[in-house]
Amino acid sequence: MRFRPLMTLRLNTAPTQNLGIGPRGTRVTFPITGGVFEGDRLRGTVLPGGDDWAVTRLDGLIELDLRITLQTDDGALVYMTFEGIRDDGAPDAPYFRTLPRFQTAEAKYVFLNRMLAVGAGELRADGPVHLIEEVL
Amino acid sequence: MQSRLLMTLEVAVVGLQKVGAVPLGTRAIAPIAGGHFEGPRLRGKVLPGGGDWTLLRGDGVLELDLRVTLETDDGALIHLSSFGLRHGPPEVLAALARGESVDPATYYFRTTPRFETADPKYAFLNRLLAVSTGDRRAAGPIYTIDEIL
Repeated sequence: MRFRPLMTLRLNTAPTQNLGIGPRGTRVTFPITGGVFEGDRLRGTVLPGGDDWAVTRLDGLIELDLRITLQTDDGALVYMTFEGIRDDGAPDAPYFRTLPRFQTAEAKYVFLNRMLAVGAGELRADGPVHLIEEVL
Repeated sequence: MQSRLLMTLEVAVVGLQKVGAVPLGTRAIAPIAGGHFEGPRLRGKVLPGGGDWTLLRGDGVLELDLRVTLETDDGALIHLSSFGLRHGPPEVLAALARGESVDPATYYFRTTPRFETADPKYAFLNRLLAVSTGDRRAAGPIYTIDEIL
């Protein structure tokens, strides 16, 4: 399988909303207050208002469900979602992987509508950072 | 990103159901009659009864939504669901539609399979994300599925 770097995405999050134990596990919502993204083909900021709706499953993994809006430095809006998993008990290091998808109406960025992508996440003190690559 | 082979999966499509123009595009459902899969850590067959709920979007990209049940050679059941995209040059897509054999490098056919199983031997599948490249043959697609490391 071949991949090509798409962007590094840094998210800022507000205090979590801890909803407690629901029918599918322990639900925690991470409000996204902003962030930045940068890659060879696009860069810009993350608009406030998105969230990552996370659920800790019965097997201990965290199931991720993110929705945010990106704004490029030339003004295009890009709707981004990902599903993903975070396994803090993985053998070597946390396994924190995502499957980002994009939708935009802006002609310059329609290549985003036509690709699948994968992300590797890292937890840093100031918020999560996702290294996102296009699946070629 | 690094990945490693998880399995190749071959499914047989029978009796495409062309639902037609729906609010989100053009819907066609490809019932899966069966198939088989094989990789270093698991192998077995595809149970009949799954399908791929395809949607041709307004921009010409085909969205894929495959759901099948795998049965390993030692009896475990695995639920596989995958979202995917397929698109390419018009002449390539026309050849595929005619059932011709086409070099899969000439079009984009990628999916992101996810797995669910209750069998402890295969629980590692619950804990990984995967990507696949597809090769649409006349009888059905062949997917080469890699685990994302």
